Amino acid sequence: MARILGGIGASHAPSMEHVYDAGEDVRRNEEWEPLFGPFQQVSEWLSELRPDRLVVIYNDHMDEFFLNAYPTFALGVADEYPIADEGFGARPFPPLPGDSGLGWHIARSLVADEFDPTICQELEVDHGVISPLPMVDFAEGDAQWRIPIVPLAVNVILHPLPTPRRCFKLGQALRRAILSYPEDLGVVVVGTGGLSHQLTGPRFGQVTPDWDKEFMRRLAEDPESLCDYTHEDLIKLGGTESVEVVNWLAMRGALPLDARPVVEAYYAHKIMGYGLQALAAGPA
Amino acid sequence: MIDQDYLARLEAVQPRELPEDLDLFDEVSARRGIRLNKAAYSLKHPEQRELFARDEEAWMEQFGLTEAERDLVRRRDWIGLWRGGMSIYVMVKLSGVTGTPLPEIGRQMRESG
Repeated sequence: MARILGGIGASHAPSMEHVYDAGEDVRRNEEWEPLFGPFQQVSEWLSELRPDRLVVIYNDHMDEFFLNAYPTFALGVADEYPIADEGFGARPFPPLPGDSGLGWHIARSLVADEFDPTICQELEVDHGVISPLPMVDFAEGDAQWRIPIVPLAVNVILHPLPTPRRCFKLGQALRRAILSYPEDLGVVVVGTGGLSHQLTGPRFGQVTPDWDKEFMRRLAEDPESLCDYTHEDLIKLGGTESVEVVNWLAMRGALPLDARPVVEAYYAHKIMGYGLQALAAGPA
Repeated sequence: MIDQDYLARLEAVQPRELPEDLDLFDEVSARRGIRLNKAAYSLKHPEQRELFARDEEAWMEQFGLTEAERDLVRRRDWIGLWRGGMSIYVMVKLSGVTGTPLPEIGRQMRESG
């Protein structure tokens, strides 16, 4: 049976792509070491853990899904996921390998559990997936992704949004889905987005480090306490776009309550509160 | 008739007491901005970016933008586009084809308060 080995919460942002694409010297310079150094630690942790699959909970930014029909939850069941062109040309990565068998299994299990995602046989992934993923899952020498993924997109853009509690429960349902998969696979669940940022209006660029650190502490120690926050609370605390943190909460819902952080980093820089947290699920 | 039960459920999803300088992309923006968002979303396709560069008016014509909306695009009025219901995520694509760096949009956003 499949096992859940751990989880990763990571911010996603085009800025992280620009830094990654600029090469090792920029990634490890004084400006970006506080974020990319810890990403290297997560990458090393992942190399030791050797997961067979990553389930990536993220949100699209109108690069695949649009307002004609916006899915609240959407699950990839494909064998590969091309990189979306976000308006500047797609980044030069090969498509991410998928696992349609695991994807369809998760789809059935979620629906049986009364979660009903839009099921996607074709899905282009944007920076919600591929701004953090190269740092932990791309072998630059071979120009190959290492670990097949199953992407799960959450609507954090078009209100009404699924509530934080709903997203935590989605994570719990995802856990049941993964643990019931008959193949012996080790799985790491990734949740991307946040932390504090505000991209519209007079508060453009505002970040709130105290809340971000509080969020990360609660996520690790007492994730259920975060279920009591409304989107309104999250927006007031971390900015309009910070509601993406529900993706972290869904990731946490898939882990055992006693999962513990093995890497943690927080870096408020320019217009983003960047967070990174790797959690080990402990002995299965 | 709206009953108490519905209002209680709404509490969980509908922010109601946000300060004026914090906004949401919701029914109001989604309805108001549908043409502008469709237009900017199209820029994920290289051929749409090429058309924008070659003939901006012809590019706008495809989406049935109102005259007021076309004017916002022509004037690169980012605040007006935002108030007109354009999502920041497709606005980024429009910033790309117009050569507008995000910090410039940010500067205008900050001065809008």
